[in-house]
Order: sequence, then structure tokens, then C-alpha cells
Amino acid sequence: MVRYASLIAANALRNRRRSALTVASIAISLCLLAVLGAAYLALFGEPEASPAEALRLMTHHKVSITQPMPVSFEARIRQIPGVADAMVWQWFGGTYKDARDPRNFFARFAVEPARLFGIRSELRIPAGHRARFQQERTGCIAGRKLAARFAWKPGDRVTLLGDIFPVTLELTIAGIYDDPNNDEILYFNYEYLRELLKAEDAGPDQVGVFIVQVKSLDAVIPVADAIDKEFENSTAPTETVTERAWQLSFLSFLGNLKLFLSSICGALGFTVLLVCANTISMAVRERIREVGIMKTLGFRPGTLVALTIAESTCLALAGGAIGLGLAEILCVMVQSSGTAYAALNLRITAEVALASCAAAVALGVGSSALPAWQASRMNILDALRHTG
Amino acid sequence: MNTPVIATRKLVKEFVRANFHILALHEIDISIEAGAFFTLMGPSGSGKSTLLHLIAAMDRPTRGEIRVLGEDLRALSNRAIAQWRNRHIGFIFQSFNLIPVLSALENVELPLKLTDLSHRERWEHALTALELVGLADHADHLPGQLSGGQEQRVAIARAIVTDPDIILADEPTGNLDAEAAQEVLMLLSRLNREFGKTIVMVTHDPHAASYATEVRHLEKGELKAASSETP
Ligand SMILES: Nc1ncnc2c1ncn2[C@@H]1O[C@H](COP(=O)(O)OP(=O)(O)O)[C@@H](O)[C@H]1O
Ligand SMILES: [Mg+2]
Repeated sequence: MVRYASLIAANALRNRRRSALTVASIAISLCLLAVLGAAYLALFGEPEASPAEALRLMTHHKVSITQPMPVSFEARIRQIPGVADAMVWQWFGGTYKDARDPRNFFARFAVEPARLFGIRSELRIPAGHRARFQQERTGCIAGRKLAARFAWKPGDRVTLLGDIFPVTLELTIAGIYDDPNNDEILYFNYEYLRELLKAEDAGPDQVGVFIVQVKSLDAVIPVADAIDKEFENSTAPTETVTERAWQLSFLSFLGNLKLFLSSICGALGFTVLLVCANTISMAVRERIREVGIMKTLGFRPGTLVALTIAESTCLALAGGAIGLGLAEILCVMVQSSGTAYAALNLRITAEVALASCAAAVALGVGSSALPAWQASRMNILDALRHTG
Repeated sequence: MNTPVIATRKLVKEFVRANFHILALHEIDISIEAGAFFTLMGPSGSGKSTLLHLIAAMDRPTRGEIRVLGEDLRALSNRAIAQWRNRHIGFIFQSFNLIPVLSALENVELPLKLTDLSHRERWEHALTALELVGLADHADHLPGQLSGGQEQRVAIARAIVTDPDIILADEPTGNLDAEAAQEVLMLLSRLNREFGKTIVMVTHDPHAASYATEVRHLEKGELKAASSETP
């Protein structure tokens, strides 16, 4: 193909305005594709479930997560073969300071300090902090990011005003933990919540969610089934899902966004493919006579097809390169804009760049293969007679 | 004498389409010897181009035999035919048929791209061919920047650059003024005499025919008996 470089270039630049427009439309489309791809990766390109996470299940009431289950279920779950441990995982809504400031919102969970670090084994916490959390009934621990947000340090007091629960938590920071997956949660002792509720005479002990740790990966699904079977005919039938599925269910709007993003990418890709295919067929049609000439000189159909595909791939790659450059500029602009979008951390990663190049090549080949093949198959004399 | 380079026997070409059926060539027997300057004349539609196309293996006969340079063209695959044509046949069209975006030199070099020659060798060969047709100083010109006569000379250079044995010319002077036509004819005659190329030329021009070693007439697809026009 190298010896044909000048011929390919001459053909590609034959109709400069048309080529420029084609390159521009490819550049704009691929720029959009790259930015959307970067957004997609930023939103959904999280690392796979960690090994510890993959072993965890969440059990909640079958009807909805707002329906409580008896706390006694916990002991029964622990009896099920394959279960390593289980613990209460109780969402405590409430407010911290001024609820009108969204910065004051964070997740608070009532858990069992004796079990938490076994079940969420990715939590890292100094031994002293951990011991204090496990000993102090009103102790709580905060993720590093969360603690940094409020400049909390061990010994600080945190008051949470209940809303779902008619109680006020008077907590003390027992320690700060690190969690690579989520360090913006505050964990406190379920026993403390239970006592407060008992004092309020707020009815029997009930819990929203149990978190279950399974012994081995292949037991995850059977255990989930076994748990739900166990409570099938109880007052509170359960539904047990993996932690990942559990988290994603809260991000269901992101699920739609995922579909939305992929549909836009697909539509965009398809449209630009049609535009290019149209341009290339036009270019090929204008050159049918030359196909006849080249064949008379001894060129074979395969070579002619390859020449056309190479030409359109060059145009597509040129467009792709410009598009990537534009996308990079856009991302940098978003990052330095100081808007909330900067948090997305949009970047044209090597992955995105490669995918864009692949898209450009696919575009080049996809748009030209058929017209090139059709033209190359034409009978020499018909091609030579062609006036176009 | 020598064995003919082009020999046909009862060569038939029919064009069958949905709504018509044309007998373009009817049982043509010709024999053209190496070094001949063979001229085909005849009214428009008599099958002259069709015969050239069959000789160049640009089309396949309906029936009959055709041997060119000892090769039975019917037996060659499409792939083999393309290569064979590149090596052995130079074809000159009435309408020049240069590639408009390539310079004169690049046009002439084009058939050499299919050979094993290096870039440098291809370039030298192409330049030599352009020199032969007297257009070395127009090597960088695009076809659009050349006169018709010059374009046809570039096309001749392209036809001879692979050093083919046979040159087929389909009304090569048909689109040229008298002076340019004269130049083209002299060039072809020189290729025939000095370089020993076998030439088959279709023409309407009796004057053009005067360069020929043999003139034959086609009429309604049939070859007329050899006439006294042969010098
Ligand atoms: N590809 C083709 N399809 C159908 N008919 C053709 C084709 N090529 C030539 N013909 C017919 O064959 C006859 C001979 O054509 P041609 O060889 O071009 O004549 P000439 O070159 O002598 O003018 C004409 O009637 C022409 O219409
Ligand atoms: Mg003709």
C-alpha cells in the first residue's frame, strides 16, 4: 500500500471541499463520542466488585426497603449453611445541623461494631479507634473524606436528630476509617439506637436491612436463595441481593443514563456512518470510469477496493485525530471550569482515545467497503463507458 | 513466416441483453504477425472496438478461438488476465483516459506500480517513456493542463511504459486536430518500426491507415477480405 500513498492522497484531496466537510463532520462526531465515552467511563467505569464486596449480600423486606423485618431474623440467617456472618445494617435518616445545607447530608448506618470490621474487611482503622468504637456505646466512626468535610477528630461530638426514628443520637467520634469504596459514611452502634428506641417505647425491635457475609463466592447465589426461602412464609418475606446490585438499585437513574448515553453514542455513530457512506459512494460513483482505466492497466478488483478503503480510512482517521484533540480541549475546559461537572473528572484516557481511533477506522472501512466493492466488480467496458 | 502474435478463429461476440441481442462480431478469422502495424477500419458500430477489447482480454468472446502471444485467452482466470494485460498489452483510448488528479509522470508510472520495480526505477522508466513521446518537460503537469495531443502522447507513454509486446489503439486520433493526430500517428509508426511493437489500430481516417502495414475492414461484425489498400 505504501507505493499507492500518493495515489490515495491525490484521490482523498480530489474534491477538497467535500473532503474537508467529511473530515469536519467526522471530527465533530468523534469529539462528541469521545466526550460521551469519557463521561460514561467516569460514571460507570468503576473498578469491578472487590473480593470482599463480592461476598456480601443485602437482605431486605420483599415489599420494599422501608418495610422492617424482626431483628430476630439475624440469628436465623446466621444459621443458614454458607453464611459466615450477618449484621444489622440500619439506615438512620435524620439531620445533622442545618438540613437545608446539602453539605450536611451524609449516610449514617447503625451497625454492630463487633461484626463490622469482619464483614466490611476493606475498612482500615487504627486499632485504638476500633477498640474505642467497640467499647463506647455512643461511639461512631467516620470515613476520612467525611471527617475532613466537617474537620472531625476523635472525641468530637456529633448530634443527629432523628426523623424516621423519634430519637436524638448524641454520638462521639471514636475514630476515623479508610475505605477505598466509600469513605463518606458514618457508622454507629445499633445497640445505642435500640436502647433509645426502647426508652421511647417505640414497639418491637425491627430492622430495615441485614448485611450478610458469605463464606465463598460459589455460595453467594445459593445462600441468597436459601435466606429468602427461610423467610418465605414468615410475617416479613425477604429479598436478598448482592451488595453491588443493591448499590446499583439506588443508582437506577444512572441506569437510565447509561442507556441514554449508549443510545446517543450509537445514534451518533450510525448517523456519521451514513453521512460518510453517502460521501464515499458519491466519490466512488464519480470515479467509476477510472476503475475501468485502472483495470485496463491491470489492476485487480481487490487492489481497487483496498485503495478506496484506505482513502476513506485516512479521511476518517484525520477526522478522528482532530475530534480527539477537540475532545481533549473540551475536557480540560470542563475540568478547569470550576463547575460541579469538574467533579466528574472527565478525561480522554488512553482507553477512550483508542476506542475513538477504532471507531474512526470502523467508520472509514464501514462507509467505503460496500461502494468500493460494487465499483470494483464492474465489468471493465461498462466502467469505461460510465459517464459521471 | 513467424507464428502470428494474434490469431482468432471463428471468433464470435454476441451481446445479449433483456430486450435485444446484438451480434457484434461474426466468425472473425484474423492472423496478425509480430511487428505488424495492423489497421482496422469500418463504419461505426461494425465491431471494431469489440474486437480490440477481445484481443486485450477486456471482454470474453462468446464463441471461437483467440490466441494472443501464444496464450489461449479463454483459459486464463480473471486474475491471470489482469496481470497478463499489464505485462503484454498497451491500450490507447480515443478519449485518452488519464487519471485527472495525477501528474503526467504519475499517470505514466501507474501501470508500473503492479511490477516489482523500486520507486526509483519506476520513476526512471516513466520519465524515459515521457521523453520518448517528447513530454519530459511536462512531467509535473496535470492532464487538465495539457492539450489533447499532449494528453494522448502521455497516454501513449503510459501504454508503452511496461514495454508491452502489443499496442492496441482505439481511434487514437479521433479527438485530435490534424496536427496533433499527425504527431500521434508518427509516434505509433516509430514505435512499430524502431521498437518492433505490434500495433493494432482502429481508425476512420484513411490518412491514418497509410501508416499501416495491413488494413482490414469490418462491416456489421464481419471481416472483409484483404483489400488492395495494403501497401
Ligand atoms: N457492452 C455492450 N453491450 C451491448 N452492446 C454492445 C456493447 N458493446 C458494443 N455493443 C454493440 O456491439 C456493436 C459493435 O460495437 P463496437 O465494437 O463498439 O463498434 P465500433 O467500435 O466499430 O463502433 C454495436 O452495435 C454496439 O452497440
Ligand atoms: Mg468503437
